[in-house]
Amino acid sequence: MSGPSPLRPLAWCWTSVAQFMKAPLLRKSTIPTQFTRSFIVVPYEPKRRIKIHPPIKGPLSKNPIENLTAAAIAILDPSGARQKMFSRHNKDSIRPGDILQVRRRNGDPFSGVLLNIRRRGIDTGFLLRDQLTRVGVEMWFKLYSPAIEDIDLVQRKAKKARRAKLYYMRQPKHDFGSVANVVKEYVRRVRPAPRTRR
Amino acid sequence: MFPSRVLGMVQLKSMLTCIDNSGAALVECVMVLKRKKPAGIGDKIVVVIQKQRSLGQDLSATAQAAVKVRRGDVCHAVVVRTKKKYSRPDGSYIRFDDNACVLVNKAGDPLGTRLSGVVGEELKRKNWSKILSLAPMNV
Repeated sequence: MSGPSPLRPLAWCWTSVAQFMKAPLLRKSTIPTQFTRSFIVVPYEPKRRIKIHPPIKGPLSKNPIENLTAAAIAILDPSGARQKMFSRHNKDSIRPGDILQVRRRNGDPFSGVLLNIRRRGIDTGFLLRDQLTRVGVEMWFKLYSPAIEDIDLVQRKAKKARRAKLYYMRQPKHDFGSVANVVKEYVRRVRPAPRTRR
Repeated sequence: MFPSRVLGMVQLKSMLTCIDNSGAALVECVMVLKRKKPAGIGDKIVVVIQKQRSLGQDLSATAQAAVKVRRGDVCHAVVVRTKKKYSRPDGSYIRFDDNACVLVNKAGDPLGTRLSGVVGEELKRKNWSKILSLAPMNV
């Protein structure tokens, strides 16, 4: 034995030549001709069809929340009087420190000094403070609530308050006290048949 | 439709003013009855009388007889005002400047014969009509 046989490299060559000759045959056999035909003849149909809508052209309005609020206010406050009364843009709107009377649909009217206005569209509310039997009572109302029949401005604050929230009026030093006399005077002046406040 | 319980903040050690003429002026809450949470308007609590109403110079027999409780007595009471604001079914809120109560016996009848301040309307819902009828005003 003196090294590898001289015939071996020739054998390798033959195998590669055979592979080269087989290759086109093999490639041809891998193409699924029958399958391709069947695919074309019977197209695939999905069981559940998804409806595709045309794209929306854009938002109907630039501020839909504002539109919604306006629509809701139009229902709850058709005359727009309440909205105007509490509007920031109205020069004659009521301000913290004014005395208001709220007439309720079921219940007695409640009046007091306006401490706070919370402007939040349809959710706008305000806080009134009064003293009943020398006990401070505060009531929070929703401006557009159907439970409120009417809101009257009884008296304006003599000097415009320099704060938006007059919580300092809870302190005994700054407390307005009872508004009963002011309201009584107002009712006597405005309404001939007085709705007496208990 | 609306919650049967009214939110309140009266709990152990809360000091309340007593607004009836039973003789108590200031009471301390020691227990809230039938409720795991702090008591609100219309809830029954157990109180200890901390301060008696001063009789002044008037020490007549009638005034003495009017005093039904003494300092240190343990008594049942009903909360009638809370400093904590609570909501009404119509969306409005109400709060008072103080916490106040009325002393009652175990049957639920008020010990005093007169009340001296405004009380919450929720008492009607809680079937405390006897207290409401004594009160000068309810809001």
